[in-house]
Amino acid sequence: MDTSGRLNGHDTANYRSRFQRLFAIILIAAAVLVIRLAYLQVIKGEEYKVRSESNSVRLRKIKPFRGLILDSRRQVLVDNQPAFDLVYVPSRIVDIRRIVATLEGFYRQRGFSLEEDLNPAGKTRPFVPVRLERNIPVEKIAQVETHALDLPGFVVEVAPVRKYLGGDVLSHIIGYTGEVSREELEKLEDNSLAPGDVVGKTGLERLLDPYLAGKPGAEQVEVNVTGKVIKSLGRVEPVAGYNAVLTLDFDLQTVAAAAMEGRSGAAVVLDPRDGSVLAMVSVPSFDPNIFNGGISPRDWEKLAKDPRHPMENRAISGQYPPGSTYKVVTAAAALSEGIVTPEIRFYCNGSFTLGNRSYRCWQRHGHGWVNLHRALVSSCDVYFYNLGKILGVDKLAEYARAFGFGQRTGIDMPREKPGLVPTKAWKAKRFKEPWQPGENIPISIGQGFDLVTPLQLANAYAALANGGTIWRPRLVKQIEEADGRVVKMFPPEKIGALSLTARHLELIRRGLWGVVNEAGGTGGALRRPEGDVAGKTGTSQVVGMPRADKTGRIRVLSDRFRDHALFACFAPYQNPEIAVAVIVEHAGHGGSVAAPVARKIIDAYFRLKRERAQPKMAAVDPAVAGQEKAPAPKEQTTRREREESP
Amino acid sequence: MKFHKNWLLGFDWTLLILALSICAVGVLNIYSTGFSLTSPKTPLYLKQIQWILIGLFFMFIAITLDYRFLSHYAYAIHGVAVLLLVLVIFYGYTTHGSQRWIALGGFSFQPSELVKVTMVLALARYFSTHGTGDHYGFRDLLVPLAMMLVPFLLIVRQPDLGTALMLLILFSSLVIFVGVRIKDLLIAGAAGLLMIPAAWYFLKDYQKDRILTFFDPERDPLGAGYHIIQSMIAVGSGGFLGKGFLKGTQTQLKFLPEQQTDFVFSVFAEEWGFMGGIVLITLFLSLILWSLKIAQNARDLPETLIAYGITMMIFWGFFINIGMVLGILPVVGIPLPFLSYGGSSVVVLMISIGLLINISMRRFILQP
Repeated sequence: MDTSGRLNGHDTANYRSRFQRLFAIILIAAAVLVIRLAYLQVIKGEEYKVRSESNSVRLRKIKPFRGLILDSRRQVLVDNQPAFDLVYVPSRIVDIRRIVATLEGFYRQRGFSLEEDLNPAGKTRPFVPVRLERNIPVEKIAQVETHALDLPGFVVEVAPVRKYLGGDVLSHIIGYTGEVSREELEKLEDNSLAPGDVVGKTGLERLLDPYLAGKPGAEQVEVNVTGKVIKSLGRVEPVAGYNAVLTLDFDLQTVAAAAMEGRSGAAVVLDPRDGSVLAMVSVPSFDPNIFNGGISPRDWEKLAKDPRHPMENRAISGQYPPGSTYKVVTAAAALSEGIVTPEIRFYCNGSFTLGNRSYRCWQRHGHGWVNLHRALVSSCDVYFYNLGKILGVDKLAEYARAFGFGQRTGIDMPREKPGLVPTKAWKAKRFKEPWQPGENIPISIGQGFDLVTPLQLANAYAALANGGTIWRPRLVKQIEEADGRVVKMFPPEKIGALSLTARHLELIRRGLWGVVNEAGGTGGALRRPEGDVAGKTGTSQVVGMPRADKTGRIRVLSDRFRDHALFACFAPYQNPEIAVAVIVEHAGHGGSVAAPVARKIIDAYFRLKRERAQPKMAAVDPAVAGQEKAPAPKEQTTRREREESP
Repeated sequence: MKFHKNWLLGFDWTLLILALSICAVGVLNIYSTGFSLTSPKTPLYLKQIQWILIGLFFMFIAITLDYRFLSHYAYAIHGVAVLLLVLVIFYGYTTHGSQRWIALGGFSFQPSELVKVTMVLALARYFSTHGTGDHYGFRDLLVPLAMMLVPFLLIVRQPDLGTALMLLILFSSLVIFVGVRIKDLLIAGAAGLLMIPAAWYFLKDYQKDRILTFFDPERDPLGAGYHIIQSMIAVGSGGFLGKGFLKGTQTQLKFLPEQQTDFVFSVFAEEWGFMGGIVLITLFLSLILWSLKIAQNARDLPETLIAYGITMMIFWGFFINIGMVLGILPVVGIPLPFLSYGGSSVVVLMISIGLLINISMRRFILQP
């Protein structure tokens, strides 16, 4: 272009030299690009062509170790162990069935077979790895490595798997891991996960996945035609996940699981001082280690279709009629509403009549005249029928909710159920029918529509134990780095309080103490020499309560209609340290079936406490040890006082 | 506005044809990658043609626009573009972990692309009305610095470090061109370096991670480090004549990452080889030098600066992108002008070419 065409020029003289320099710079820049292009394409062209044809540069993801899970005393509950996956990396489009057939041929020579039911449909995409088998044994690795030349593209990959040291004792709490599913991948916003990555599927493995997962590393490698690594071109180390420390006491958990052995049901042990979950057992259970190699469809089906539902965590998602354990709610409501005083008595002749229906007391021939204390101790139904009739459903519901029933406790565990506290509004909405006065009667003794989870029950009794505070139950104490530095704390959290005066609370507590320690009490199984347990039995009728079993469990008929046995308690009576709830399905009476389970747990708790204190005392100065012994006789005196007082 | 009686004579056909030729190469190349949008399922190359047509419409507006309008409202236009960047924070949506787009009447739009041109307009206006006759000192540069720094920080926050870097480079190119005292330039550079730790404090972890990877691709062999190796294999294996259209194995087997955007040149180089590469580079060089000539011959200083700024925008995109694909510059996420897929980028480039044609024609305008 020529400047002579300009009609209205401005003085670019200042800029002329700058423009000249610019032209030069741009030409040089373009020349640099051309030279580089020539170098790559003309000089190195052949070399790159070979590399592109073999596509010898691969990106290998290095899986990180998941974080450990420890109990409150830092025993390792979940560890990692090395495992090997057999992966096939196709270099072109092939039918995967043929590849599998080749592999099986080599396996047969040694009498092995393919563990996994492969889904052998379809073709492979070049260089997209196909996982043939997970967690293969050393013998198979040896066989594959021996025949590496005949098995091009077969690669053994290191993939750590979980080792659940607690086995079926902890399976519901810990959960298990598995390969990320397509649905989970689609929900992701970023590319943090890829197919084949392992994520927590249930329980704490799932809830704590962001902490436990760690960060994958990667390695760029050059491979030969058989897919073997020739050299590493660069590597980023994986970062192991954080460790999780639980509130759980594994020794106590083991005792609780043993005590529930062979039953169906749940046991929950809480620390009433801060809501820590010390033990939480659901039976029947399963072994989470079977998920390590990627569970086979056959095993999965067996587990998922088991009529006893071993996968369900009954402690938080089993909903049961609470039976007589619920009487503390009725008592609390009646006392607070001024309907009864401790002295007021009702007469129990074995049944209670409202309109043209009669409701039986569990004691056919009746309890005679009973006041609040005796009604709790002997678990007199008629006494509470009278209270329920006066209170009505909505007043009762108000107090039940204060105890934490009818809503999720908010425990750090997925899939918690809320239970059910019926109200007039609820029934109108659910059944489009008005509330019948007769329905006030069963709900006052924890039957009818009432449903609670074992965790809620334990938490309600923890509140009675600690003077009225509802804590949010917590399983996870803190998250730590490998060196023990705390990354995140989960402090105790108050979520509510009982609407009870201290005097009324003490009346109920004394009643619960009587249940265990007085003549005629239904909880005699817990009568320890120390006389330090207070609790309540419960027997919830299953017959005529189809709603309680609407999950449609298939059971042997005679079993199906047996009552659930319940027991809820706390200890020691003064300054309680544990609250326990036990529910045994279709087992009979609370006092004879559930209470002995609770007894074993409580005995074990105090035994462990003693044992753990002992070696420490031996280690320290004997004078200090002597001082620590001092409170013992004092405890005995308080016990005597208590024995006299009720 | 009155044009020369034979305005076809003044119309810069050369520039238009050069730009459209490069666009055509781009469309063919995107066709070869075979990419489609997922919903609605539109082949990407058709989408690109659609953007080019939309771009041509805006180019026409840019050609007919009265220059005085642009000059008068330069600050306001830049302000609006920066405002759009602020809107991205509140209404923008996120893809691939970066919040860059806002929905504008059914189209998604990336204000950070527009801001590159509006900044050139604003800086051109500033430097032409605040001439010192001598070199600019640090104090004179505070206002222009703000014009760059505000959108720069907004874009870093998205995070879109490539575009942010582009803004910085464009700004520096303009400042050095208008003349600045070397001493002040050094002071400004030192001040900028000192600001880095402060800015670091405000960044989220993943943003820091991206910046570190930006300087050291080896940090992320899953991402940038892997990209560059695969890109070099693709380019190198193209050889002298290339593997042929639609025959690039690296491309067709999807080994190449981001092949429709940042690594679009490796697709081209694999399939068309060194000969193709020479042709494309020559096309770019012609366009850039032609535009520079327009800047040199412009009627007044603001026009020179606008034309110069636009030319630099194209030049740096061209040089940095290809340099990155060839493994001589770090992987910085700067698209190749006209070739990389991207609606906002194409439309803004078309507007820029329109402005260049406008300036080129203006030399033939009869003064009223």
